[in-house]
Amino acid sequence: MTAAVAELVGENVPDELVAERLCRACVEGLDVDGAALSLLTAHPARSTLWATDPVAHRLEDLQFTLNEGACVEAALTGAPVLAADLSHSAETTRWPVFAAAVAEQTPVAALFALPLQWGSVTIGVLDLYRRTPGHLSPASWRDALAAADTAALLLLDRRTRPGSSTEDLPGDADDDRNGDDGWGQGVFAHPEVHQATGMVLAQLGTGAEEALARMRAHAFAERRLLVDVARDVVARRLRFTEEMR
Amino acid sequence: MRHDSPSQDPRPGREREVGRAFVELADTLVDDYDALDLLDRLVTHCVSLLAADAAAILLADPRGELRTVASTSEDAELMDLLQLHAGEGPCLQAYRDAAPISVPDLTTTDRWPAFTAAADATTATVFRSVHSLPLRLRGEAIGALNLLHHQPGSLPPDDLALAQALADVATIGILSERVIRNSGIVAEQLQTALNSRVVVEQAKGILAEHSALDMDQAFERLRAYSRSNNLRLADVARDITTGRIDPTSVTGRHRSSGRG
Repeated sequence: MTAAVAELVGENVPDELVAERLCRACVEGLDVDGAALSLLTAHPARSTLWATDPVAHRLEDLQFTLNEGACVEAALTGAPVLAADLSHSAETTRWPVFAAAVAEQTPVAALFALPLQWGSVTIGVLDLYRRTPGHLSPASWRDALAAADTAALLLLDRRTRPGSSTEDLPGDADDDRNGDDGWGQGVFAHPEVHQATGMVLAQLGTGAEEALARMRAHAFAERRLLVDVARDVVARRLRFTEEMR
Repeated sequence: MRHDSPSQDPRPGREREVGRAFVELADTLVDDYDALDLLDRLVTHCVSLLAADAAAILLADPRGELRTVASTSEDAELMDLLQLHAGEGPCLQAYRDAAPISVPDLTTTDRWPAFTAAADATTATVFRSVHSLPLRLRGEAIGALNLLHHQPGSLPPDDLALAQALADVATIGILSERVIRNSGIVAEQLQTALNSRVVVEQAKGILAEHSALDMDQAFERLRAYSRSNNLRLADVARDITTGRIDPTSVTGRHRSSGRG
């Protein structure tokens, strides 16, 4: 299901296209009626990148406005939130205002919110809804979590990729793609990448995203893989300083 | 504990130690616990109870790919990575077959040529024997427990049974009582544990840089701080990465490496 989305890795596409493909894939592949993807910024303000239909859009608006609901909780806790039956007392007491508004204004019965995470950074939330109550099947769950993982990877890629704000950067003749630093599904499996992120974060006194962006910029400039740059950082063969910019 | 005559009592006093370990693990399960903490305690117990030199627990992510969530050393993690990279090896086999795999001597097995060749080529890899136990759930596996020894040899059947019991505790711990509501929760818990691991690695990096420690030492401090303050490992790690906890208070050391 996520194949259509995963192929966007390394492509210079806007966040909205990532969100659109992902939400559509979820509606097509999972037993849900609609999906929406919202970004979280450092400020309380959020922005909905894509919603598959007006109901999905309404759900996002309600949660933003009321500042409660599955999506808000997922963003705060960093854990997926499942509300298989919004009319159930457990959910109505959990988010009284939100549950009442959903019942009044939408046909939504079940809501599933999945945080898009990279370590302590919550990038956004994927919301899935259904008009009938009930849990997602285990297979659907797996796919939904994989979709959220893929979305996190793609959006983090967009935020930290060297030169992503400008036109294409000059590429290596050996590379199929410009700026290929080995970013992909496998990158999160390397503990060195996360350890080095922490080290560079401490070296520069910045946040995790900025630290990752600096390592990727270095990898790009040196035409190396991010994993190799991370290993050099962990082995203390490479230090990042403000002057290196 | 390994030796040539498995019939003899492996180590006096071990029974009591085993009992204590299970009591401690059960206590963890009763409290509002974090899966990562539990798994970390488990690998530590594996090392002491089974006289292993290192232990690691891997969980399958939503794509079915294994990822290390707890390990007693960076070397153990490297062994995991070599297997994942080679796409073969004892822990992958244990996971796929949902059955235990024993490799008494890595240098004489030809079952996973790509993995053993990679392990050979890596000087940091000092382990001669590997025992992998599946984390079993309804006939399938959700991950694997790896026991690593510097010396070649087989674990006696009693030790293997104990290792499997510890692996089963890991499975129970990950699932928790919430699983009763919905089997989808398994994936949710795995997801949270896997992401917590990312935060822990980042926090290790911060501590290592701040106080000139290696990654194993950084993790030791992180773990010691969490336990002595009765906090979750993942929460402490998160607070370190977001600057809410000062690295100095965790490592007890001021910045010792000069900045750029």
